[in-house]
Amino acid sequence: MTDRELELKLAAALERTAPDDFEAILSRCGVQNGSVTELKELVQDQKVIDVEAVEVKPKKRLNRWLAAACAALVLAGAGGGGLIYHQSYAVASVVSLDVNPSIELKVNRAEGVISCTALNTEAAAVLFDMNGGADLKGTKLDVAVNAIVGALVREGYLDSISSAILISVEDNDQERAQRLQAELVASVDGVLQAQAPGTSVLSQVLDADAPALEYMTFDSGLSTGKSALVQKVMEMNGTLALNSTDAFDKLAALSVEELNDLLKAGEKRIPIGKAAAATAAEEYAGTLAMNSVTTDVDPELDENPPHYEVELKTVWGEFEYIVDAFTGEVLRGQKDLLNQSPAGQDSPVNPAPPPAAENNVWQDPGNSDTISGTVIDQETAKKAALDNAGLSESDVTDWKVEREWDDGRLEYEIEFWCGTTEYDCTVDGHTGAILKCGIDHHGNSGSGHHSDSHHSGAGTSTNTATSADIGQEAAKAAALAHAGVTESQAVKLKVERDWDDGRLEYEVKFEVGRMEYEYTIDGATGAILEYEWDD
Amino acid sequence: MLAALCLQTTEEESERRRRELDQLLLQVGQGDREAFARLYSLTRGAVYALALSLLQDTHEAQDVAQDTFVRVWERGPSYRSQGSPMAWLLTVARNLAWSRLRHSGRQVEVGEEAWNALPASMPEVSPEDRVVLQEGLASLGAEERRIILLHAVTGLKHREIAALLEQPLSTVLSKYHRGLKKLKSLMKGENEP
Repeated sequence: MTDRELELKLAAALERTAPDDFEAILSRCGVQNGSVTELKELVQDQKVIDVEAVEVKPKKRLNRWLAAACAALVLAGAGGGGLIYHQSYAVASVVSLDVNPSIELKVNRAEGVISCTALNTEAAAVLFDMNGGADLKGTKLDVAVNAIVGALVREGYLDSISSAILISVEDNDQERAQRLQAELVASVDGVLQAQAPGTSVLSQVLDADAPALEYMTFDSGLSTGKSALVQKVMEMNGTLALNSTDAFDKLAALSVEELNDLLKAGEKRIPIGKAAAATAAEEYAGTLAMNSVTTDVDPELDENPPHYEVELKTVWGEFEYIVDAFTGEVLRGQKDLLNQSPAGQDSPVNPAPPPAAENNVWQDPGNSDTISGTVIDQETAKKAALDNAGLSESDVTDWKVEREWDDGRLEYEIEFWCGTTEYDCTVDGHTGAILKCGIDHHGNSGSGHHSDSHHSGAGTSTNTATSADIGQEAAKAAALAHAGVTESQAVKLKVERDWDDGRLEYEVKFEVGRMEYEYTIDGATGAILEYEWDD
Repeated sequence: MLAALCLQTTEEESERRRRELDQLLLQVGQGDREAFARLYSLTRGAVYALALSLLQDTHEAQDVAQDTFVRVWERGPSYRSQGSPMAWLLTVARNLAWSRLRHSGRQVEVGEEAWNALPASMPEVSPEDRVVLQEGLASLGAEERRIILLHAVTGLKHREIAALLEQPLSTVLSKYHRGLKKLKSLMKGENEP
């Protein structure tokens, strides 16, 4: 029985047993209330964050603008106090901050905060220490924004190397909006340089008088800024022309980082989202039933193939999974962790490590600095990466360093730039060995992008980038030709570029029917180095 | 290809249903009793399923389902078209159920109380319905049961269910998959000779 069949059976059984008492209901139905009430009155007990989300925003905003304008006019006519009222309480700009939490700030002409509203549950958690945002009322806009950004960093929303925050300023005075945008971007950038240097700051100016956004959904919890970003993605992927509310819903559920990645990559497909990626990894790892397992998901939608990096934090260590961003297939990671763990239970008192992990590593993955002699610090890792590239610290800029736990071992993922060349290295956190190093030349010649990478066995690598590279397509063609199959017959076709002892290789895998094929192709000549067929 | 076609058909069906419910709610707002009857026939199962999953009592669930439709009729003129009419309707039902739990002094979050899905007024229930509704769902945790019932009966998406129950999406997804797995394994056992 499939999931759907089971659900249909359940639905039909419930439908048959649900009481049918329409007559009783009709007998209780009196005269309808003629007055038009806001949905928030009907939806009693709804928290403020949800009430804000259920209102039809563009209409609401227009009404509030009109109301504010009318109030200002009336009071201005009544005397000098009106001007003060207008300056203090009339909304001049609406600023929204979106990461995944979405927060909206309404500010007056003097850039004082009139209100700060959490638009979704995650945002409510971020604003918890600020009395739900009420503490920010009356503060200057830049102070409020910095406080919120600080809270976002503390709550772990901007700790990934590729995090993104979107700042949107909505105003009918475009000049003021642009000035505010520039000020806020500079201010937020300053805070993030110190606290979360990997974060991208995106910003946009929206016209408050622009036509209403078409896709405001019941429980979207979206700011107008994020809605606009979603619409940009829909314009790019063609779903805007189709008027697809389904596409809007799916995209609206993504974080700003994911939306930004889609735009950067020109990716038209819609990814499964962080939660589904975490579930896929947990299913694969067999830890879905364990409440003690937590996940940390980092979207890498602008990489090839687009994927999610999911880190499972368990009592016996941390494990990394690579999940296909569109199919949810787990491309890499350890299967069935419980079968590997001798303890095999949710919260073992003295858990034994899985076979692959070393005793002194798995026990304290979150606080490895306390384990003397077992890990290297960040500076040592950076130096190892620099030495490997043959550069000194003064040669390079734009450092990004991230600590990662991969199958119970600490790794440093280090990115830096030298001129127009980008280096992306993975350094073993225990030995300082270079596990992987990619080099991207972003010069002006040719296509403007060329990528090399190599793996090193024991930290003795050199940058042996070669000009002889047959490319992925040729490697794939060589493998398919050898197997005697066409590309349309092959499924789960994967091509990976790899370095082995200074030699560029391509690993090509695919399936035809029940047969699995695996090839290693020489990256310089196209020769088949190894192949394996498995029925 | 077939799977893609089915998915497309399901999505089209879901969009058609959404439009119909939206239209019906607007008509109810204008005092149209025929539209109200049609709305009731299309959504009574969903409203009852939510109430039952929250209250775990067939009598109370029936009361709340009735109250929900009376409230919808009375406040019909205030309804405005928006994303999901089903989510709107179920939010009304959810609030009434929570309100009832509070007034009766019970915990808002009903724990692992005995699950009884079969109304006493309905002694004749087919063995298959009994297995799936009573024995199958009784084997699940309260949250798992609630999420599976909502997904199966209301047609809400996991994200909408997460919003309705005020739970993180990841929790809803994991409980849904875990519960469905348990239910399938139980049903498989029942079907075996």
